[in-house]
Amino acid sequence: MSRTILRGGIALTLALSSAALPSARQKSDPLRIPFEVYSLPNGLTSILSLDRSTPTVTVSMWYHVGSKNELPGRTGFAHLFEHVMFTGSGHAAYGIHDKLTNGVGGSNNGTTDNDRTQYYESVPSNYLESSLWLEADRLGFLLDTLDSAKLNAQRDIVKNERRQGVDNVPYGRARELLSEALYPKGHPYSWDVIGSMADLSAASEEDVKNFFRQYYTPNNAYLAIVGDFDPAQARTWIRKYFGDLPRGKAIARPSIPPVTLDAERRVVYEDRVQVPRLYLLWPTVGVKHGDETALGILGSILSGPRTARLTRALVYDQQAAAQVSARQDSNEDVGEFGVTITPRPGHTLTELEGAADGIVEKLKTEGPTREELQKATASEELAFLTAIQSNLGKAGRLSSGAGYHGDPGYFKKDYQQTLAVTAADVTRVANTYLTKNRVVLSIVPTGKPEMAAKPSTTTK
Amino acid sequence: MTRTALASILAATLVASFPALASPRHDDRGQQPALDRSKVPPPGPAPQLRVPAWTKATLTNGAELIVSEKHDLPLVAFSITFQGGADQVEPADKRGVAAVTAAMMLEGTKTRDGEALSNALQLLGTSVQTGIGGESGTIRFTSTAAKFEPTLAILADILENPTFPAAALERQRGQRLVALQQARNQGPAILNRVFPRVLYGTAHPFGQATDEQTIKAITREDLVALHSSYFTPSHALVTVVGDVSAAAAKAAVQRALTSWAAPEQAEHAAHETFKYPALPQAKETTIYLVDRPGAAQSSVAIGLPGPPRDTADYYPLAVMNMMLGGHIQSRLSANIREEKGYSYGVRSSFDFGHGPGAFRAGGEIVGEKTDLALIEFVKELKGIEGSKPITDEELAMTKDALSQRLLGTFGSVAGTENAITTIWLQGLPEDYYQQYAKRIAAITREDVLRVAKQYVDLNHLAIVVVGDRKSIEDGLKATGIAPIVVLDATGAPAGSL
Repeated sequence: MSRTILRGGIALTLALSSAALPSARQKSDPLRIPFEVYSLPNGLTSILSLDRSTPTVTVSMWYHVGSKNELPGRTGFAHLFEHVMFTGSGHAAYGIHDKLTNGVGGSNNGTTDNDRTQYYESVPSNYLESSLWLEADRLGFLLDTLDSAKLNAQRDIVKNERRQGVDNVPYGRARELLSEALYPKGHPYSWDVIGSMADLSAASEEDVKNFFRQYYTPNNAYLAIVGDFDPAQARTWIRKYFGDLPRGKAIARPSIPPVTLDAERRVVYEDRVQVPRLYLLWPTVGVKHGDETALGILGSILSGPRTARLTRALVYDQQAAAQVSARQDSNEDVGEFGVTITPRPGHTLTELEGAADGIVEKLKTEGPTREELQKATASEELAFLTAIQSNLGKAGRLSSGAGYHGDPGYFKKDYQQTLAVTAADVTRVANTYLTKNRVVLSIVPTGKPEMAAKPSTTTK
Repeated sequence: MTRTALASILAATLVASFPALASPRHDDRGQQPALDRSKVPPPGPAPQLRVPAWTKATLTNGAELIVSEKHDLPLVAFSITFQGGADQVEPADKRGVAAVTAAMMLEGTKTRDGEALSNALQLLGTSVQTGIGGESGTIRFTSTAAKFEPTLAILADILENPTFPAAALERQRGQRLVALQQARNQGPAILNRVFPRVLYGTAHPFGQATDEQTIKAITREDLVALHSSYFTPSHALVTVVGDVSAAAAKAAVQRALTSWAAPEQAEHAAHETFKYPALPQAKETTIYLVDRPGAAQSSVAIGLPGPPRDTADYYPLAVMNMMLGGHIQSRLSANIREEKGYSYGVRSSFDFGHGPGAFRAGGEIVGEKTDLALIEFVKELKGIEGSKPITDEELAMTKDALSQRLLGTFGSVAGTENAITTIWLQGLPEDYYQQYAKRIAAITREDVLRVAKQYVDLNHLAIVVVGDRKSIEDGLKATGIAPIVVLDATGAPAGSL
């Protein structure tokens, strides 16, 4: 899940994490998150998962709305709205939310990406009811206390977030430059989650109201409770706090087909950087497409450990690059495969583009070895087990499974698909997607456009 | 909405003084009475902290071993932690040598080159991490339970037999030089170099930095020497946490580390005899300005050298800092982020360790608000020293926030390992976690005020601002908070290089 933006500026090192219920453990099948799922008449999906390893609980609310649902001239709005969700609601005054979470040794946060917005409270287990009360109140009664002062305060914070993450950081604008170049103008994925300063300035109270009424409805929400709690009690509280919230209108979800480019697009951007950087980006597929897992494996074969192909060649053998990465980023409807290369002194972006292309072409022709494939998947079990030690890690998997695939247990299918990827799959997706029709972005020091990568004259 | 008004709003809500719903709603089946949402649901009975048990042993080579069994998932976290770190063992002209040594251990052993090591670990689905920080070092991994022993065998090889190939050192050096070059355009990176230098001076290890010169000065011989004196069992703690029995863990560790012995000449490791030099004379409060032309935000740090971790005032300091800048509704964040909107995040902290780690408050501040934010920082520092009274509710919440954080600490194998290692590194009592809430609960308002005044000396603060000098200097001057001294991006007086 790429491009996630956090609300929290303070990174407390809370180790609010846990692991599966000991009695539920099955040695033969450690890849297991026990859960139950049901829906309220108003359409709210509720997912309950027990984990008694620590006396804590996480409440997660996952809304199927993100930056792709924003209107023209309102980029960044979904994320700004996420901030507004922390400013109090009809019965929960501003500040209570943090006091009932941070103030009791827990934490809260919200994250927004292109497709969804997730909120959570991780708290001592005896604060489950107040967390449900908080989430229900802002789902039901956010607009009761909305005013322009609240919106403006959060607007300022979000603009600071943009300054801190985009405008004041070397290479910080790469993300939005790449999205602009990859997608047609007006395409729902053509702008970055953080949005533009002008659009953030333009967002109005009326926008907040309309967005809230359209997308913050029980039938567009997935509630997950993970941790140490009594399920019967939890079900009662869910009904008590969420049961009478009215169902909203059905959400129109226009189908967004993956994009293709009909030619290479080369972009040069001058920035206050000391060292230039090269970005290659190809349009691929999203989380529902069968090729997504093979594209992920392709990324692991190209970069990461020192034996990965791009890393070995550019960083170790030629020592032409200080850093290389290659990875698939999957959104709900579309995906992107990106390569990023930072050169070492004395090496040009042009040279590195040519070298990287040569390595990718070789892989497309000969395919990965059996050992490369084995290495790329060997860490999957450990990565999964490590992630589900925390309540929040489990809640994220269960919710996105339910939201994107209609199945909270989708993580299992995903895992099995990853292990089932063959060398032929990797070769095929490399040939299908890593074509000459791509975006090539050079970020170069101000005043030095000549450092940009020049189109290769040799055949690709 | 001000911070102080906030506290009264909470009190009001707790006694349910909010108006009830105008039109009571019923649940979907009409079975329950109308819900009064204005009542904050009270917490249930407080859960008990569950600290896992662990067993201790001493290995034949002198290293200590701690094992904590945790069987909920088939995972094992293994670590060897070393007392002492870069600030204690590095010469001033070779800062960075410890980090480079640790990284270079993964570049090959007597029987496996760097690629072979990487391949073997990838096939086990895991990776070994090495590192040396300011006051401690580590070599560690997390694996599935089934891969624990084979991964441990590779870790032992990395620990005992690294070859430090010269070509790999040149590659590592080149990569680090690029990273240092990139950091020259990053406000936070400049601040992290200048702030300690201003506080401690370059004669103190805390004030020194890894830079192009020190990285270029490091030789292969330095790495070999540092490895053989530092990575020894005499000052090491081995921990195993996870899905393995204590007996099996001990046997596996003994087997894998059988040839890991103390060096023959019983040389004391440098950190054992190390004493931090005296701090430089504290200077009157001064604003140190580093120009970063065109910066959209100013990177700000305000502080001074603080006490070591073993100070008797640790608990009141923890409460004071949490109240001041430890979370999103703490005083600094509630004011400067939430109310004024000058920043995406501000905080404060004490860098507790064996040395005089810094107290530091600050954050990334929108450029044109640098002066106004600084005024608020100073106001809040004065506030915590008495000008803004601490309410009962604020004190109680701060203490809850601190002590109840522990509840989730032991959920993961790495979190448990870190908790155990912290006790050993900082010399804390065995029942530290069991006693923590009691210690925090005992802290009074007077304790908080006393340590705030004692440790945050408003007359001797260093205020470091990295930002666009042209647009912020006049405003900073006009605050009248302190005189301004302009420094370059290394923390030296501007124009002196």
